[in-house]
Formats: sequence, structure tokens, C-alpha cells
Amino acid sequence: MIYYVGSFGLIIIGLYIVLTKRNLIKVIIGLDLFETGIFLLLICTGYVKGGTAPIFSNAKLTSALMVDPVPQALVLTAIVIGVATLALALSLAIRLYHHYGTLDLRKIRELKW
Amino acid sequence: MDISNGVNPALLIAIPLGLTFAIPLCGFISKRIGEYIPILGMIFNLVVAITLIPRVIREPIIVSLGGFPPPFCINLMADPLGVFLAALIALIGLMISIYATDYIKKGATQNYHMLYLLLLVGATGIVLTGDIFNLFVFFEILCISSYALVAYDGDKPGIESGMKYLIQGTVGSGLILMGIALLYGKFGTLNMAHLAQNIHSTTPLSTFLPLALLITGFGVEAALFPLNAWLPDAHSSAPSSISAILSGIAIKMGVYAIIRIIFTLFGASSLFHFILFLGLFTLLVGELAAFRQNNIKRMLAYSSTGQIGLIIFAFGLASTLGIKGALFQMTSHALAKALLFLAVGYMIYRSGSIKINSLAGMGKKMPLVSLAFAIGVFSLIGFPPFVGFSSKFLIVKATLAQHDSVLTILLGFVLLATIIEGAYFLKVIQTIYFKDTAQQTVQPWQGTSLAALIPICILMVLIVGIGIYPEVLSKILNAAAGMLLDREAYIRNVLP
Repeated sequence: MIYYVGSFGLIIIGLYIVLTKRNLIKVIIGLDLFETGIFLLLICTGYVKGGTAPIFSNAKLTSALMVDPVPQALVLTAIVIGVATLALALSLAIRLYHHYGTLDLRKIRELKW
Repeated sequence: MDISNGVNPALLIAIPLGLTFAIPLCGFISKRIGEYIPILGMIFNLVVAITLIPRVIREPIIVSLGGFPPPFCINLMADPLGVFLAALIALIGLMISIYATDYIKKGATQNYHMLYLLLLVGATGIVLTGDIFNLFVFFEILCISSYALVAYDGDKPGIESGMKYLIQGTVGSGLILMGIALLYGKFGTLNMAHLAQNIHSTTPLSTFLPLALLITGFGVEAALFPLNAWLPDAHSSAPSSISAILSGIAIKMGVYAIIRIIFTLFGASSLFHFILFLGLFTLLVGELAAFRQNNIKRMLAYSSTGQIGLIIFAFGLASTLGIKGALFQMTSHALAKALLFLAVGYMIYRSGSIKINSLAGMGKKMPLVSLAFAIGVFSLIGFPPFVGFSSKFLIVKATLAQHDSVLTILLGFVLLATIIEGAYFLKVIQTIYFKDTAQQTVQPWQGTSLAALIPICILMVLIVGIGIYPEVLSKILNAAAGMLLDREAYIRNVLP
């Protein structure tokens, strides 16, 4: 239960940063926190307390004590995707800084409705 | 079920994906080869998808990757809907890749062609996959390559809109992943057929949160009304070939994912009215916003929002005829909007400005491109004999066939939106053909190249051809609509 609270906490903090901060780098950090929260949520769904990897190394191991490996595989994939997004976001931020000389989102307003 | 005879649908994803990474390798031999590889990949996809269509109408093809039986493997589900959309993606992708060989001249062209092909791989994967996490992965491939492509020009508006798109898109895909995590925690499976089988075993309330998260997440990419803030910026600042693929294909993938989730995965019949209204709002807001634009690409972008609304509206009818109309409208919008962006790309190149007023007199200067623009616009508005007429007519027929007075009133709003659409588009047509050019800006101009004219002409012929003879699509659309409405058949096919 506490894991779910923690991961949702991270998700909410991340979203809050994305919505309120004016500095682009902070917004990107917020996005990353948001994603990390979701990864933890995914991990929680398969977590078993005191469990171990689902490999039949000793005969006493029952399926109740095995941690579900699927969410971990999913999180690995999702982390790779997250890294790609983050790298792209940071490189765009560098280019944006070259154009405007600032990372303040209030001053970057070329496009409007 | 057996995949022994004929082509394996997995090749639709594998071959273009392999070719994508062949582009930098071919770059060692010659820089120019990279431009032609997307064309090669898309010709392959188009041929394979069209040869698959008669087979999948008889029976959907299930490909189990890794050799395990579903639900333990990731499976591909080549049903009529998926293969039809894969053919549409390949067709539009082919046209735009021919156009891009000439249009994209500056910058890192190899990277452009790689990302472009990767975007099409993502889109093809979305329509063919039968596993919800796989759907998410392909969706991310599509999104990340489109973020980068929007910012391809590297100018101020391009980078800024790419950044906006990235932030909103990432939050959206985060929500999707959250929805998938909750579904996995509840049901312990990721296979869409297996999920669909078990989804009604719990209370509707406990599946409501994942459903809402998934619809919101995919709604960002589909540009549904409250989530469409990125679309006009991204579509108007991207290079025209990218605007064409984003408007023609990328936003429809969001719609496809929403429809798949509502119809097949959740079977949430209580949501049909919700998406009906959502579609109507998106339609009205999109068309009204387009009305007051004086930037031609922004106008087309808002018009895309409106058309997506119309497609969602038609899906919300949830009858065979309505879904057929929605799929037909998807096709006609993809053809017309691709044509419009390609034509506008050259007009902007010629006039050097994206203001509508600067297009004055284009009808004399560029007769063929202006004709293409006019045909695209007439098809979008829905004049006969163009394809837009047949699709809009089908949607009207489907709405009236429900014999519901509320729906008839809503149809009135849909037709009102069409009138608004006609008003702003005909204004542009008037500017292009009948307005005198006040000032002549002389641009260096070598004439429109053959590589640009071929896709424009093919799209024009298709719009008129399918418009005159819409029956050509009727068999595949019937099969696709039937498949989408029949959840049991979907489950039965994957899990015998």
C-alpha cells in the first residue's frame, strides 16, 4: 500500500512541477519525476514482499514467493523510452536557449492562438 | 489462422524497421540513397497490405511472436481494420516520401528520412498489434519521431512547437502507461483479447480509472478538444511534408487507439454518447478556430482538429453504417489533407509567406498546384463528385438511420460546422484565383519539380476516382466495421 502512495505522490509532484514552474529545465525535471512515479507504480503491481526471482533454483520455492517479472520487463522498456524523450527534450531546450537567450517560458511566446 | 501460405503480416513492421537503420549505412556509399529508401519501404508495405486484404476479410490473421500461444506472447492481430489502415498509411507515406525527395533539401536529410520511416513504422505497428503494451511502445515510436520531425527546421517556431508537443505528448503517454499499469495490476495480462475477455469480471467502477487514463492519454495525440493545444503550433511550424503526415496519419492513430480501447478492449457502450458529444465539440471548436486564422497552415491544422471531431462523432454512432462512415471519412481526410499540405508547401515556397493574402494570384502562377489545392478543399467541404462527399453523405445517412431526434439535432450542428468550413475554405480559393496581386515579390524559382507533381497528381486522381466510385472501398470497410463491433469474434480469433 505504502508503495502505491509513494508512487502516486511522485506522479502528483511531477505533474505539479510541469504545470506551475516557469523554467524549462524545471519542467523537464518535472516530466522525469512524473515518469519515475509511473515506473514505480508498474513495479508495485508485481511486487511480493520477501519474494525472489522466478527461477527454480531450489525446490522449496513456491509461486507465491515469486516476484512477477513482467512489470520489470515493462519498466525496462519504459525507462528506455523515457531516456529517449528526456534526451530529445534537453536537446530542444538547448536549441531554444540559442534562439531566445532564456529558458523562461513566459518569454518564449512566438506562437499563439 | 495459419500463416504458412502467403505473406506474414509481421513483415509490414519488420521490413520498414530494418530499412530505417539501413539508411545511415547506405549513407557511407552515397548520401542520396537515403532519400529513396522510405519510398522502397512504403511500396513494399502498400503491396503487401493490399494483397493481405482479401485474406483478412475471410479470416483475421494472428501472428504469435516468439512461438508461445496467446495470451502468453505478444501477438499481432491483422484484422480488416488494421490491414486497411496499414494500407492507408503506406499509401499516404509513399506519396509524402516521393514529395520529400525534392522538398527536404537542407539540414540533416538522412536523419529526416530515418525519423520519417520510423514514424510510419510506429503507425503501422499501432494498427496491427494485439498487445496493449506493444501498442504503447509503437505509439511512443510514433510520438518521439514526430516531436523530432516537428523541430526539424530548427527555426524559432519549429523548436518552440516541438517543445510544446513534447511536453504535452509525454504527459499524455505517461497517463497511458499509468492506465496500462493499473490494468495489469487488476487482470495480470497485457493481451488485448485476454483483457477484453476478463474486463467485465469486475465492477465497472474499478475499470473506470484505467479507461479514463487511456482515453485522456491517447486523446492528446488524437487532439480531442480540450487536449488539442499542441496541434495548431506543431502542424503549422513543421516542414510541410511533416505537416501532411501528422495531419494525414499521426492524429488518426490516436483516434484508432481510442476506438480500439472503447470498442474492443472495454466494450464500454455507455461511453458512445460521451464520444459523440466529444466529437461534436471538437468539430465545432476546430472549425470556429480555423475560421479566424490568416495563416494558411494554421487554418489547415485547425481544420484537421475539426475533421477528427467528425470522425469521432461518426464512431460514436456505434452502428455498422456509422463506423463505415467514420473509416471512410478517415480515408478521405487523409487523402485530402495530405494533398492540401503538399500543395500549400509549394505555394509557401513560391510566395515566401504563410499569410493567406500572399497567396493571391497563385491560380495564374501555379495552375496545377492551385488546382490540387482546390480539389483538396472541395473534397474536405464535401462537394460531389469528390471523395469527401461520399464520406460525409455516409455519416449523414448513418445518423438519420438511427431515428433519434436528439441525433438529428446534433446532425444539424455537424452540418453547420460544414458550412463554416466551406466559408473559410472558399475564401482562400477566392484569394488564390480571383484576387489581383498587389505587390509582386520575386522569389528565385526553378519551377515545380517532377517529384512534387507525381504525388500531387496521384492524390488528385485518387480523390476524384474514389469519389466517383466509392464502392471500391465498401467491402473492406464493411468487414472492418463488422469486426470492430463484434468483440466476441475478436476474442475468439485470438484465444480459440
